[in-house]
Amino acid sequence: MALLEAIGISKTYPGGVVANDGVNLVVESGEVHAVVGENGAGKSTLMKILFGIEQPNAGALMLDGKPVRFANPREAIEAGIGMVFQHFSLVPSFSVYENVVLGSEPRSGIRFERHKAIAEVKAISDRFRLSVDPMPAVMTLPVGQQQRVEILKALYRNARILILDEPTAVLAPQEVQELFVAIRSLVAQGKTVIFIAHKLPEVLEISDTITVMRQGKTVGQVKAKEVTEKSLAAMMVGREVTLRVERKATDQSQRVAEIEGLRVVNARGTEVVAGLDLNVHAGEVVGLVGVEGNGQAETLEAVAGLRAIAAGTIRIADKDATAMSVLDRRALGLASIPEDRIARGLATGATVAENLVATRLNETRYVRNGLLDLKAIKANALQLIERFSIRVGGPASTVDTLSGGNMQKVVVARELAEQPKLLLVNQPTRGVDLGATQFIWRTITDARDAGAAVLLSSADLGELLALSDRLLVLYRGRIVAAFVNTPDLTPETLGTYMLGLSTQTADEMKAALR
Amino acid sequence: MSSISGTNKSSRWSAVRKEIGRAGGALLISLIVTFVIVLLTSKDPLGAFEQLLTQLPQKTRTFGYWIDDVAKLTITGLAFSLVFQARQFSMGVQGQVYIGALAATYVALSPLGASWAGIPLGIAAAMLAGAVYGFLPGIAKAKLGANEIVSSLMLNYVAIELCNFLVRTNLPKPQAGVLTTNDFPDSAVFPMLVDKTRIDLGLILAIVAVLVVWFAVYRTSWGLKLRLVGHNARFAEYSGIKSTFIMVSAMTASGALGGLLGSMFVQGQTYGKLTVLFEGNLAFEGILVAIVARSRPLAVPIVALFYGYLRQGAQLMNIRTDVPAEVIGVVTAIIILLVSSSYSLAFLKRLFRRGVATAPTPAAAAGAAK
Ligand SMILES: Nc1ncnc2c1ncn2[C@@H]1O[C@H](COP(=O)(O)OP(=O)(O)OP(=O)(O)O)[C@@H](O)[C@H]1O
Ligand SMILES: [Mg+2]
Repeated sequence: MALLEAIGISKTYPGGVVANDGVNLVVESGEVHAVVGENGAGKSTLMKILFGIEQPNAGALMLDGKPVRFANPREAIEAGIGMVFQHFSLVPSFSVYENVVLGSEPRSGIRFERHKAIAEVKAISDRFRLSVDPMPAVMTLPVGQQQRVEILKALYRNARILILDEPTAVLAPQEVQELFVAIRSLVAQGKTVIFIAHKLPEVLEISDTITVMRQGKTVGQVKAKEVTEKSLAAMMVGREVTLRVERKATDQSQRVAEIEGLRVVNARGTEVVAGLDLNVHAGEVVGLVGVEGNGQAETLEAVAGLRAIAAGTIRIADKDATAMSVLDRRALGLASIPEDRIARGLATGATVAENLVATRLNETRYVRNGLLDLKAIKANALQLIERFSIRVGGPASTVDTLSGGNMQKVVVARELAEQPKLLLVNQPTRGVDLGATQFIWRTITDARDAGAAVLLSSADLGELLALSDRLLVLYRGRIVAAFVNTPDLTPETLGTYMLGLSTQTADEMKAALR
Repeated sequence: MSSISGTNKSSRWSAVRKEIGRAGGALLISLIVTFVIVLLTSKDPLGAFEQLLTQLPQKTRTFGYWIDDVAKLTITGLAFSLVFQARQFSMGVQGQVYIGALAATYVALSPLGASWAGIPLGIAAAMLAGAVYGFLPGIAKAKLGANEIVSSLMLNYVAIELCNFLVRTNLPKPQAGVLTTNDFPDSAVFPMLVDKTRIDLGLILAIVAVLVVWFAVYRTSWGLKLRLVGHNARFAEYSGIKSTFIMVSAMTASGALGGLLGSMFVQGQTYGKLTVLFEGNLAFEGILVAIVARSRPLAVPIVALFYGYLRQGAQLMNIRTDVPAEVIGVVTAIIILLVSSSYSLAFLKRLFRRGVATAPTPAAAAGAAK
């Protein structure tokens, strides 16, 4: 008998988007069950229904063979279901253990039993190999640790079934491996895990069973052992997908961005970029390689004009841009795809059309005499929705009704609506499905082929190797190695430099630092 | 394409319906709770409720109180909506009302006041003064990082005391010791729109203000920037929007509305002169109006219509029965709580269904008990 079963689930959102259309899901006890599918296929919606956040319009849920209904998450939690969202719901200023026990604190009478809480949190975290210090405030922890706190929260409430919605999208590769260790130990101790991800190698590595969704329907359920990456991709997309892009030969003689002696000091006073020199030329992609937190993000933000710098100069298209405003830099042809689309790249409460023109409000195409040209704004949105195949109700839908991958497409569409001179890209395909990843890679490469200088950072080495002409490895804010991208360059070679285990000499780097 | 815009329209309407349902539900619950309180405290609860809910439209005079209140609540609601849309929490409308009223008074009592320019100049002076007074907390926040809530509240006290002081010392009075100025000349007082009521030019100003604010927020680039800053300031920065400029200008524009309200008070039919503490704490009620209207300019007058009714109805109840007007505070408190929380009608239905068994909140318990 299946542990958890969803039968014929349908869900139509107000506004008419059919997110689930007769979905079936059968989860066996003690397995890792992956749910895969393109952006907007309805995975998160299905999970929200399992967790009582959304109510289905039709269909039934069976738990232990008995029909159940969850009117809200509390009822789902009581039934032993826990969920970790892609966007965490922790109280930033509270400590780890406080966050874990919040709402069901151990107490005697009305007194909060602090020591007992700490001890219990420690015990669970040891038992499931989710090591995290219970004392510090959650906001001081890196994302990977915060995610563990979320998982601990669910386990503390005795979840038997743990739903993880795109847990790996926010993690660096090493953190993904640590998460997998924890998942295996959970399963070994009788828990069941439902897991959503877009990266197929990850899915094949961790899961036992895979349910594939497409456009609100389940297309099938398969054993992980019986499929390959290729066949799975074909099931998801309905056609063959190859993640490879051909780059054209381009003229790379012209320097577009010149960064000299860049130093950035963060709020805590630590030097995160320590005297960086680098140039990016028209028609090339320069990849910044490094474990997250070694200065890549700060470098990109400094060039975009979003972060104060401590020293150095930044030249864009032969102009000194060091002290320029964001708008002036954009006027020079700068475009940027930021790391965190929700925090930085979008106003989720505003409409898709408004988000798509936000960076162009000084252009007479959209604004004349201070008045918005609503027709032009709508036309622009319709055209970009079509060109970038964004799945959305229409230009007037607010961005928060979009699935994660489609939000990212809105950002990409806005930044690449016109050919940029200098394109800054950070984590372009986080949480983005295969088809869209291929599309975004293609779009970035097209911009490069047409003469854009591209500075790219990504936690995904495969992505860096697929897109870059040159690769610079950053370690503690310095370039420790530089390569011209060739087919024999491997992730392993990069890895030793990323971890700071070795450093190239100036001579070795010379060829790739131009 | 047509189908796309079709679904959008219907989804926008369903969203609007949902909001109306929420606000209406909140109103109903708060009235039920109020009724229970009145039931427990009044000798004649039905009579009190009758005064609160049915008497206002019966006489032209009381009807006029209502509409006059609606006009004023609309302006203060708009002023708060503007700053709330930019996610600034300036509380300065009250101070702007006093400063605006002072400016209008100086114009009205000057030789200019006796000319045809009395009304337009008085309004303009009031709006300008209010704008300056709204600008101050804005610029203090932009340049010095001063918290706008604190600085605007402080400026409110300054304005009230300044008004008191000038009425006592500087402004012409009919006789020593009274706390009002001379009556304004007729040419400086807003003309009556409906005979024997307080309904005057202020109502037209309020309607115009609604349209102007709506247009500014939804049809100009400034308005779009304002909303983007309000949605996500970090995104605005990234897009190259000068968020400090937007923030300061929103607070200034809202200040101009506050000033306008000041002129509507003193130049309106109600007063036609400046008296101390004339505003009777109406300015702050704009917060409630703005919250319930979700800071949407077009929703503000509708909310003001309902709220003005309750407010004046409570006054009648106060005068004619043993229930004090303060009871209406219960209504406002419950409405604010419900509307600003994420309660939904579905949630209410569930509460009502379980009400008796678990009695989770007084509201639901009261509802279920009925
Ligand atoms: N609150 C909402 N209101 C209206 N439509 C919504 C809402 N939430 C999701 N949708 C729509 O429902 C569809 C399915 O969304 P869902 O978030 O379930 O996709 P997903 O499979 O999780 O995609 P992703 O991989 O991009 O996260 C999408 O078309 C999305 O735009
Ligand atoms: Mg999702």
